[in-house]
Amino acid sequence: MEVMMMSRKLLWIVAVTAIVLFAVLNVFRKGEAETSQPPVHKSVAVDSTKCIAPASFMRANHMQVLYEWRNSSVRTGNRVYIAHNGSKFEKSLNTCLGCHSNNRMFCFNCHSYANVKPKCWNCHLSPMETP
Amino acid sequence: MSSVADGNTMMNEERREFIKKTAIGVLVGLGAASGLVPAFSLEKTVLPVWDEKPVPGKIRWGMLIDTRKCREGCQQCAAACHHVHNVPDFRNKKDEVKWMWKNPYQNVFPTASQQFVSKEIQDRSYLALCNHCADSPCTKACPTEATFKRWDGIVAMDYHRCIGCRFCMAACPYGSRSFNWQDPRTAIHDPVTTYPTREQGVVEKCNFCSDRLVKGQQPACTEACPEQALTFGDLNDPRSDIRQLLEANETMQRKPELGTKPSVFYII
Repeated sequence: MEVMMMSRKLLWIVAVTAIVLFAVLNVFRKGEAETSQPPVHKSVAVDSTKCIAPASFMRANHMQVLYEWRNSSVRTGNRVYIAHNGSKFEKSLNTCLGCHSNNRMFCFNCHSYANVKPKCWNCHLSPMETP
Repeated sequence: MSSVADGNTMMNEERREFIKKTAIGVLVGLGAASGLVPAFSLEKTVLPVWDEKPVPGKIRWGMLIDTRKCREGCQQCAAACHHVHNVPDFRNKKDEVKWMWKNPYQNVFPTASQQFVSKEIQDRSYLALCNHCADSPCTKACPTEATFKRWDGIVAMDYHRCIGCRFCMAACPYGSRSFNWQDPRTAIHDPVTTYPTREQGVVEKCNFCSDRLVKGQQPACTEACPEQALTFGDLNDPRSDIRQLLEANETMQRKPELGTKPSVFYII
């Protein structure tokens, strides 16, 4: 009986702590979101649930795609990529990583197997570095 | 009797285990819901404000700095600029990397034609940044076209192409370019995830916030200035704020005699 009382007490303590923690964290997060994200005007969010090209094509040609994206977006200002199915994407490494950084080893697995050392992550944030 | 007692302890043990697991589950669940475990921390990609390939020469971005409004000792513009662009701070003059900074009158306007200007003007410090010259000497010096004149008048850096020869630094008459002698990532004290860093061995400079313009935002320095001393706009548009101010005020550029046609103007 005493043990049961104890565990009931414990359950109460855990529940109250969890609720307080939830409330406090949410309050802090709201403040953070307001200050750290400047409003973006006139822009439309991209649906990056779709892929820019079939996986088999990307496996063989992602370096050419990235090279083309980098040159046309940085040098001629053409930042919009129109995919085979007509959907539009921003030519940015973040477009790729928006989905693919879910797997932290996405780039590194193959590159280490093939012993390829691209210099992307000297400047850009890699999927490994995203917190 | 003993078997009943055994059963009781067993039940209690199971119960204890159950309560423990529930508590952990609740905590983890709440943590995820309140965003302690972020799904994705990089900036969400958005389509740029302009949709198609821009027309070269249609826009020429420029800036007007009203130095009468500029507070002495205030560094908020430079701090905002350096923060949003991950500019390293080595706390060491030799390795210094800067996109925007303040200098005394005689350093910013060494060839100003006015003689005997007032002591008040000479004692103030003046904001300096890349002038994004219409006739830029740095882009002519670059052997790899890593720095180039953009379609909208911005003198841009393509860090992918920079080989670190520093010809552009020698060519720039304004000292607007800095070289990364060391790995800059070690000296970024408050990094942001929305802009890449640079690497060791490349030259960097102000990009007129081309990363923010593409999202339809004003440059970081213009937004950060508490006195609204900075006006940013299209010099090719006669109705823009900057052109109105240029018409209404007497302005000057840095070293105009060199013929670089700077896009940064000053009201003294």
